[in-house]
Amino acid sequence: MQLQDLAQVVRSKNAGPRRITLDVIFRTDAEYQRAAQSEALTAEKIAPLYGVAVDSVTVINYPLGRAIKIVVPRQIMSGDPGDRDVYGAQQHTPLLKLEI
Amino acid sequence: MTASARILDHFSKANGSEPIRILGASGQLGYGVPTPAFSAGLERKPHLIGCDMGSIDIGPYYLGSGELATAPAATRRDLRKVLLGALKLKIPLIIGSAGSAGAKPHLEQTLAIMREIAREEGLGFRMGVLRADIERTVLKEALRLNGVTPIDGMSTLDATEVDAASNIVGQMGMSAFQRALAAGVDVVVAGRACDTAIFAALPAAAGFPVGPAQHMAKIIECASLCCVPGGRDSILATLDQEGFEIESMAPQRRATPVSVAAHSLYEQSDPFTVQEPEGRLDLARARYHALDDRRTRVVGALWEEAREPWVKIEGARHVGERAILLCGTADPGFIANYEQLLQEVERVVRDLVCEDAAEDYALTWRVYGVNGVRMTPVTRNAPPGEAFILGECIAPTRERAAEVVRTTKQYLLHHGYEGRLSTAGNLAFPFTPPEVSVGPAYRFNVYHLMRASDLDALFPLEIETV
Repeated sequence: MQLQDLAQVVRSKNAGPRRITLDVIFRTDAEYQRAAQSEALTAEKIAPLYGVAVDSVTVINYPLGRAIKIVVPRQIMSGDPGDRDVYGAQQHTPLLKLEI
Repeated sequence: MTASARILDHFSKANGSEPIRILGASGQLGYGVPTPAFSAGLERKPHLIGCDMGSIDIGPYYLGSGELATAPAATRRDLRKVLLGALKLKIPLIIGSAGSAGAKPHLEQTLAIMREIAREEGLGFRMGVLRADIERTVLKEALRLNGVTPIDGMSTLDATEVDAASNIVGQMGMSAFQRALAAGVDVVVAGRACDTAIFAALPAAAGFPVGPAQHMAKIIECASLCCVPGGRDSILATLDQEGFEIESMAPQRRATPVSVAAHSLYEQSDPFTVQEPEGRLDLARARYHALDDRRTRVVGALWEEAREPWVKIEGARHVGERAILLCGTADPGFIANYEQLLQEVERVVRDLVCEDAAEDYALTWRVYGVNGVRMTPVTRNAPPGEAFILGECIAPTRERAAEVVRTTKQYLLHHGYEGRLSTAGNLAFPFTPPEVSVGPAYRFNVYHLMRASDLDALFPLEIETV
């Protein structure tokens, strides 16, 4: 199953101008557990999708919010010449087709 | 008696026996405060109205240029609404990160609107004004003492960059607002501020525990965004000695344990800790439970006082003047080879515009429909039927940027290539001129932490009788 079919929310946004935070939120505890225990949402899997080093990616499980938070560095700081997404609100799409 | 003195006196006499109600009117003042929910909030007799007005997420332009991100008429409408509401109830109004970026020009424009409203409506009040601009001499002294640290891989700051920044602000915390409230005011307008401090300063000063007060502030600083469905409507927090309750003032928005807990994720890199100048909010033991289907109670947040205060500082510098080219194409041959064709045109343009001048500009492309949005490489599917091409030039002057995009437009339109069928033009222009001079371009050149032993001196308070 792809993440886009399992999750209720897959979103991205700046966490400060130098990082993007990706929140994946699930409808039920079972769906959250399935994603949290899968190998898909790990720094090793996510780093190549964003073209960044594995040790620069943080993955935090947050069961209270039925959510998994991923933080990746930006290659270009928000609003710098050449940036494509000042708010960072459209950088979630590489996650959508991850197989869970 | 001023509003802040009245409320602080009230809670001093209540001695912990009475909860405090905080109305979060807006997370982005100046984009509209929906009246029905705001009025419903006033009917609940809150002890404070808080509004956040700014953010760093809007990019470096506003901080650099001194302009507001919000429209003047909408800003005035929102400020009038919250000011009249607070004065009617005789409760403090606190506005943080005034004018989008919270530097001197933003603060001055916001204050000018407040004074105008007061004149038009015949209002009188005492206004505390907190400035957030970081003096260059103070910052350079901090540099000399190794008291400045980069955030998230930012370069080390030096004196040259400090001088280059057009505005530098620091995010003030609770203590600045508490100084204003203690001085006896009806309204506080602050430059750049931590969004949580706007809502947490009064309850903390009134003797409520700082952990739950800060956590409450973190939840309501975006108004009803923490609800399902999320929205911009005003939100009410009721804080007691143990925890707080969250309720949206829009009946269709439900604050559920999961929606409120999930809000701790929003625009934060860590859902368990929030760093503030005066300390650290620890949410690892926070618990959320439903009071009914629209209200959630939250307990368990802890506050750890900082041993040494630090302040997040932000600055933006001018990097040139921006001009853009807007055009589209539907030609399959052009779309299939666009990367090579754009490079060829860049070279033609450079040879022309640099004949008697230095190569003093940067030309960048975003080709929407192909790869204009994602920061990471896009897996190539079948080429799209149409693409939108955004050309952007940043050059030392407005004239130079315009020269580069106008020349680029002409040579991109008529660029010849192998197999070209459409020899009368490669591009569709939705209107002319398709070249637009956007104005100055900025970048963040300060995003650092600064050690600050004297927060009072850093964020000075002025009292104005309006």
